[in-house]
Amino acid sequence: MALLEVKNLNVRFAVRGGDLTALRGISFSLDKGERLGLVGESGAGKSVAAFSILNLIAQPGYIAGGQILFEGKDLAAMSERELRKIRGNRIAMIFQDPMMTLNPVLTIGTQMVEAIKAHRRISTKDARAIAVDKLRKVQIPSPEKRLNQYPHELSGGMRQRVIIAIALLLDPEIIIADEPTTALDVTIQAEIMALLLDLCEQENVALMLITHDLGVVSQVSQRMLVMYSGRIIEQGPTREIINDAQHPYTQGLINALPQMGEPGARLFQIPGAMPSLKNVPTGCPFNPRCSFATDECRSTMPDYVRAGNVDVACYEVERLIAQEQQAREVAP
Amino acid sequence: MSASPLVDIRGLEKKFDLTGSLLEQISFKNGRFQRKQEAVHAINGVNLQVFRGEALCVVGESGCGKSTVARTIMGLLSPTAGEVHYEGKRIDTLEGKALLPYRSKMQMIFQNPYASLNPRMTIQQTLEEPIHFHHPEWSKADVLNKVQDVMQSVGIDPDWGSRFGHEFSGGQRQRIAIARALAVDPEFIVADEPISALDVSIQAQVLNLMMDAQESRNLTYLFITHDLAVVEHFGTRVAVMYLGRVCELAPTKALFATPRHPYTQALLSAIPRLEDGRPNYIRLQGEVPTPVDLPPGCVFHGRCPYANDRCRQEIPELFATDSGGQVACHGVEEGRL
Repeated sequence: MALLEVKNLNVRFAVRGGDLTALRGISFSLDKGERLGLVGESGAGKSVAAFSILNLIAQPGYIAGGQILFEGKDLAAMSERELRKIRGNRIAMIFQDPMMTLNPVLTIGTQMVEAIKAHRRISTKDARAIAVDKLRKVQIPSPEKRLNQYPHELSGGMRQRVIIAIALLLDPEIIIADEPTTALDVTIQAEIMALLLDLCEQENVALMLITHDLGVVSQVSQRMLVMYSGRIIEQGPTREIINDAQHPYTQGLINALPQMGEPGARLFQIPGAMPSLKNVPTGCPFNPRCSFATDECRSTMPDYVRAGNVDVACYEVERLIAQEQQAREVAP
Repeated sequence: MSASPLVDIRGLEKKFDLTGSLLEQISFKNGRFQRKQEAVHAINGVNLQVFRGEALCVVGESGCGKSTVARTIMGLLSPTAGEVHYEGKRIDTLEGKALLPYRSKMQMIFQNPYASLNPRMTIQQTLEEPIHFHHPEWSKADVLNKVQDVMQSVGIDPDWGSRFGHEFSGGQRQRIAIARALAVDPEFIVADEPISALDVSIQAQVLNLMMDAQESRNLTYLFITHDLAVVEHFGTRVAVMYLGRVCELAPTKALFATPRHPYTQALLSAIPRLEDGRPNYIRLQGEVPTPVDLPPGCVFHGRCPYANDRCRQEIPELFATDSGGQVACHGVEEGRL
């Protein structure tokens, strides 16, 4: 059984003039110790997906259907009290901006001890010892001293290390990291990513990494999901998708990267922009930007088909597979 | 590339005062009055030449002074020391009317298209304003024509002129910002992180637009960015900055093939590539020192694995290397690296 299994999750936002659907039936699973990448552009719903796992989506958002099974128990149906035992304890979360996540008026030590004491009956002294141990794990120099410092005394990279240390405090099974390095410089980003990777491997923690950076995903994750307009349009082993993407959107996303193009030549570009939630086109949400779109794409939402080890929601891929099969049947 | 540069920056320095007025600087300590002055040394002696028709990229991490360089060239900040020359004429000392012709020749595109467009102006008004300002003698019809022209050239439907900025997506807003820069037919454009705030698929659109505009209008770019993958694609030459200094300046191909400066090497190794495997980057020790107290000698010595005593004392100057670039590093000069 998978550690975390999300089944047909729907999330909506109740706004004036009707509900907006932010997630439209997404399903995926995460195994113990696995590293899963979640890619998409802004507005694709990747952060909503991450937040809804821990039932953290704020009003007016709500989970409209589906299950989030963590070790077989449905987080979506749990009471707030039960959920609190899991949040931060079994499933930890790392957010994008380290300055926003740390409380500016409390020392690092206070915040770490608070987090431990919320879940365990333990003396302050022991809690501080755990805090120092975790700070050392994230390679923060002189951790005892850091406990008495305030967040503003640390640099951006150091702050993100503290956040990772806090996420690790209670030895969680899953860490959900929402764009953990986006606010950081390239050299610091590389360091933090390598650190996160090492720690997850050492402690056998499953990592769900949400990012818009395909480069990061391809280096860190074993499997990846590509989201577009509230749907998972492609999911499978990272290498398979990066080397041979099936969905036209994923292909476009990869080919649009400057590192894929000939220096100085025009870059491949996907025309248009992602539709807003207010007017998602009928059928496949990508159809207005897709060069393969047919009437079928414009009228009904494609279901998932299997290409190799990858699940894709695209009629064009379905057609190609059918053609191949036909060719194979004719050939012998 | 013509022999004389279009833009020539000589010995540029910019300090930002931290301490404020005289009264705020004075403190009473141990029975004595003391005066303390602190400043952020944003740029420390930068020499750069931009040649006609090229795209010079300035890269570096946050706080290295790349945006300050851009703003000083544009005259949005006045330099503490040094000179800015445009077509051989010094412009950093010009004021008012004398500066006007240069303002229309040099235009700027900013990072955040959500902040750089006036929310209370329609797109039509936004685009008309610079034209009215620089060509007050033009008739209404001329201005209208020009606006429709630039809107078309950046792929924005001219019928959308009566809309406001918030009605557009990020990519469209950045197109409008580019249209505004192009409206006065500039020859030199400073782009300060123009695509950093945009999504990947939109980044490609805007980069293509900028390359098309360069070709059709023979533009010269100074492109400020932290994204090295973009530089590799877009730039003809690259200047790598660290703590207010240029540490390496080279043609793009040479820089990516054989980076000489240890900082450039670390920076290049940190780009997340699509290739298989784990990040294999060069680990730098420590962190960027604060630009308030600059270290003596090479600004990079505290993090450099190859630093020796000379690096800790003497500031390295740029010198020409055999690969066609320039690098400021004692180690490279001595042949240690």
